[in-house]
Amino acid sequence: MSNQIAILLAVLLFPGGVFALAFGLAMKGVDRRVAARLQSRVGPPLLQPFFDIIKLGFKRTMVPAAANETVFLYTPLVGVVSMLIAAALVPITSVYAPDAAIGNLLVLLYLLMIPGIVLMIAGSASGSPYGAIGFSREMALMIAYEGPLVLIAAAVAIRTGVGMGGWATFSLNDIVAYQQAHGSFLFDPVMWPAVAAFCFFYPANLGIVPFDIPEAETEVLEGPLLEYSGPVLALFKIMSALKKVVVLGLGIALFFPAAPANIAAGFLVWLVKMAVLMLVGITAVRLSMGRMRIDQAFVFFLKWPLLLAVASLAVVVVV
Amino acid sequence: MGLIPDFKKIATRSPWIYRINAGSCNGCDVEMATTALIPRYDIERLGCQYCGSPKHADIVLISGPLTVRVKDAVLRMYEEIPDPKVTVAVGVCPISGGIFRESYAVLAPIDQYIPIDVNVPGCPPRPQAIIAGVARAIDIWRERL
Repeated sequence: MSNQIAILLAVLLFPGGVFALAFGLAMKGVDRRVAARLQSRVGPPLLQPFFDIIKLGFKRTMVPAAANETVFLYTPLVGVVSMLIAAALVPITSVYAPDAAIGNLLVLLYLLMIPGIVLMIAGSASGSPYGAIGFSREMALMIAYEGPLVLIAAAVAIRTGVGMGGWATFSLNDIVAYQQAHGSFLFDPVMWPAVAAFCFFYPANLGIVPFDIPEAETEVLEGPLLEYSGPVLALFKIMSALKKVVVLGLGIALFFPAAPANIAAGFLVWLVKMAVLMLVGITAVRLSMGRMRIDQAFVFFLKWPLLLAVASLAVVVVV
Repeated sequence: MGLIPDFKKIATRSPWIYRINAGSCNGCDVEMATTALIPRYDIERLGCQYCGSPKHADIVLISGPLTVRVKDAVLRMYEEIPDPKVTVAVGVCPISGGIFRESYAVLAPIDQYIPIDVNVPGCPPRPQAIIAGVARAIDIWRERL
């Protein structure tokens, strides 16, 4: 019983729910502020994403005549809930270890696909041609980046499993514990291709500029989100904020979970790692690059991240 | 009065802007774009964000004299913007038709068709004037929430 309460708290309060939402929105605020400063602008207040969410709560929700109302209004909820559960699955070294009853790395991989699928379904349910374009682009991009992600996860799982004397382990707690004992995979040359592939993967998964093709506002007017307004649009913003925390947290857990055993120090180290991942991998990248076309992004992903991921899996299996 | 007035105050710090070109010569549109884009007039510090979809917008900037051909499209687009919304007419064209005022193809003044809350005259108006107009629109928006 106490087990169930602990899981519920993890999903709703920390590290999922309230904390993940606040942290994800705060990261977005810092991202926008830093981006503005790099362009020598003043930039919005740090709490701007919170203001946006509150503002959207006051707007009217409009359902287009061509839309399927039920699907249109309720799919974003599925996305938010899946991300809440996913946030409770990601361990934070010496602060939080997920209960084995919620799931492991494999469950997390499935949950990470849901926001993309939600965007696809929402876009097609809105009945808008731009939504349909967003649907097809999102689908192509998912096909391109999900492959490398699965291979990266497999490489990490096998590396940990073999290191622990078995074959492969998909428990994120074991992965973190193994790296705590034997050094992080970030400093393990065998894992470098996987690290590189992950660095290509996460901007695509989060929809950051070189890969924000499904929601390109200048081409397809934000694609699947075009027809959304008011509180339902806020749900999409919440979903993407949660997803940012989950994906960056997953990257830290897979490759660089090293942290002091003290709870406060461990949490601080985690925050610093998240900030670095965000500023280098998201802010700097999105400011310095233009948007790719969908065919360029597709070929790019099949060329480099997939190659790196396959290479890393092969190296891990052989070594 | 508790929490709700505070939330309304917070909400007005996030005005999202949508531009409608009602047959403008693009002069005002260029001014609106620079208002958002160049560092000197950074409008994002007011929390503003240009959005691609009319359904995300709070403040509408309309430029141009409303030509006959574009009228139905503009009215339809205006309907798509969810309430509460505030309309700002940018440039002299929406007020009087500007240099196009005697044309048979022009339906200015635009407020015969769309309720205009703030007028920002000029041909084209200065970026500072547009920002002042947006700030005034935010005040009006706060009363409507």
